Amino acid sequence: MTEPAAPKTADTTRRASLGALIVGILAIAVGYLAALLPGETPAWAPWLLALGIPVAIGAIMILGAARGRMGIGPLKYPFAFVVAVLAIGFCAALALPATESPLSKLWLGLPARAAIVIYGVGLLPIIVLPVAYALTFKTQTLTADDVERVRELAREYRARSEQREAGSDP
Amino acid sequence: MTSPAVVVVGVAYFAVIIGISVWAARRTRTASDFFVAGKGIGLIALTVASVSVSVSGFAFIGGPGFIYAVGLGAMYIVLPAAVTNVMGAWVLAKRMRLLGEARNLITVPDAIGARYRSPAAQGLAAVAMLVGIIGYMATNALAMGVVINSIFGVGLGWGIWIGMGVTLAYSASGGILAGVYNDVFQGTLMAIASVLVFLFVLDFGGGLGEISRTILAHDTIFLGPWGKLTPLAALSFFFVFSMGSLGQPQAVHKYYMLRDPLQLKWYPLLKTLGLVLVLLLYFSVGVGVKAFVLSGRLPPLASPDQATPSLLLNATPIVLAALVFSGVAAATMSAANSFINIGAAIVSHDLPVAFGRRVKNELRWGRAVTILIAVAAAITAQRSGAMVAFLGIFGWGLFASTLVPALAVGLNWQGATREGAIASIVTGLVITLALETAAYVKAFTFPAGVTASAVAMVSSFLVFFVVSWLTRRDAQSAIDPDVRLVMEL
Repeated sequence: MTEPAAPKTADTTRRASLGALIVGILAIAVGYLAALLPGETPAWAPWLLALGIPVAIGAIMILGAARGRMGIGPLKYPFAFVVAVLAIGFCAALALPATESPLSKLWLGLPARAAIVIYGVGLLPIIVLPVAYALTFKTQTLTADDVERVRELAREYRARSEQREAGSDP
Repeated sequence: MTSPAVVVVGVAYFAVIIGISVWAARRTRTASDFFVAGKGIGLIALTVASVSVSVSGFAFIGGPGFIYAVGLGAMYIVLPAAVTNVMGAWVLAKRMRLLGEARNLITVPDAIGARYRSPAAQGLAAVAMLVGIIGYMATNALAMGVVINSIFGVGLGWGIWIGMGVTLAYSASGGILAGVYNDVFQGTLMAIASVLVFLFVLDFGGGLGEISRTILAHDTIFLGPWGKLTPLAALSFFFVFSMGSLGQPQAVHKYYMLRDPLQLKWYPLLKTLGLVLVLLLYFSVGVGVKAFVLSGRLPPLASPDQATPSLLLNATPIVLAALVFSGVAAATMSAANSFINIGAAIVSHDLPVAFGRRVKNELRWGRAVTILIAVAAAITAQRSGAMVAFLGIFGWGLFASTLVPALAVGLNWQGATREGAIASIVTGLVITLALETAAYVKAFTFPAGVTASAVAMVSSFLVFFVVSWLTRRDAQSAIDPDVRLVMEL
């Protein structure tokens, strides 16, 4: 069987995304640890989650999307956008003062901080990510040639397995 | 609630389910047909079915009630839907579909076994999933009982057995093929019911702005970005329900079933749009009923879970109420069918493989185990009382903490080792069971915002990375060439 060589760019991208994933998970872990310690939860603990979650989500998506010599190619823009939207949305909700009142200005029917979360975090990624996935599918995700390569290796694997089983029969 | 209109809609709903099941049973001839629909499901059917199993009765009853109780903080459970489907597509869909192509895989533990060349990792993943499935199944059986009792007024006990009996009939006869096409019908019903209720609430309340003004006049915290939760608690929900989605077998398992891998192109977009439609009810009923109760247009609720029933019984036209109740039945039955099928595959396929033996007729065993799981779930739901809620809570977290690192990261990182995978699955299983049990018996109370699921998932990730690093020497050579190609693409 021929073994595919691992291209360098993709390796660098995967290594960087793996590093970012570990950093994101560590930030979340420290946030929880701070909350589990005796006394009040420190004010900085939610900030670690607000930053760690977007980093971890962005990192695992990049880890999954990296392929071939291109790494993630043009996908870096939608990924950067979504990580920024999540981080800004969470941090804005944490940082902005609570000014909700019956006289609050409403944004599409919701007070400002709620609108940032519901429409920003909850809706903006929907407009960007699935469309980016579809538009880059052929270059970044899968082609008919890819499927055929897998099928060919699978045929070899099955032939070897059958040979092994036939050889072990009495 | 036994209005003739509700009964007629309920009977029509069950008639369609039975019709689809008879059709599917005639087409189920092999174990592959039974567990992965012969890998022959088209894009639209798979998308609608996947939306259907991703949304349990919680989205129709418990979720709106949760918003009613804690405000917008409850939205952090569903906000991750904006990223989870496309994240799953990039991280898992292509690789699992191609692994299925290469190895004829039919279960999620199969993928773990192939990736790490390890029956032990496959067996452990299967055990963890089986523990989680027990919880999910009992919860869904109870939910079915509640809904069927609401429609036909037959009592909770009979409701559980009728609901489970119908689900069992189509699960055992038509396997996942019946499940998927019933899911298509059920998912469509759920989306229609959700959109109609959303439009009704906006109309009844004079628009979202008016609804917000009513709430802000009485309870400003409700419409704050965290509602009545702490920021840590809300963000914790987002973490567990986003990253944890990569370990939910009922959704991940569906990737095997797509007829043509190239059709994955539109899968995340269609599924995300479908989920948004189905979740409109979650948001609109939770926020709308709060405003209607505060303004005196609806009576005060006996409990938050009454938010949806109260709106349906006191405000909506009876036909819409009937449609929503059928939608709730659809949500619980489709989730139950999916878990029954996955559980049957674990017992008849994964566990024998882990012990180095394969059963001779997986289809026959699959059908037999399906019956056992359904009966066990119905009995558990009837007898366990409050324990059912406890089982349901840790099911989701258990899948997340045991499967996400080994499966989602492992299929994308060649440095991951079988020792790392095994250690992380064991860590997730032990920590989830220990912490949830300690919290349930009140031996330990978590600070606000920290959950057993989140702690277990973070621990499982860290153990996975550390053990893989410590045992990295043979990581690359322990991957079969066809699996490596799938990971490289």
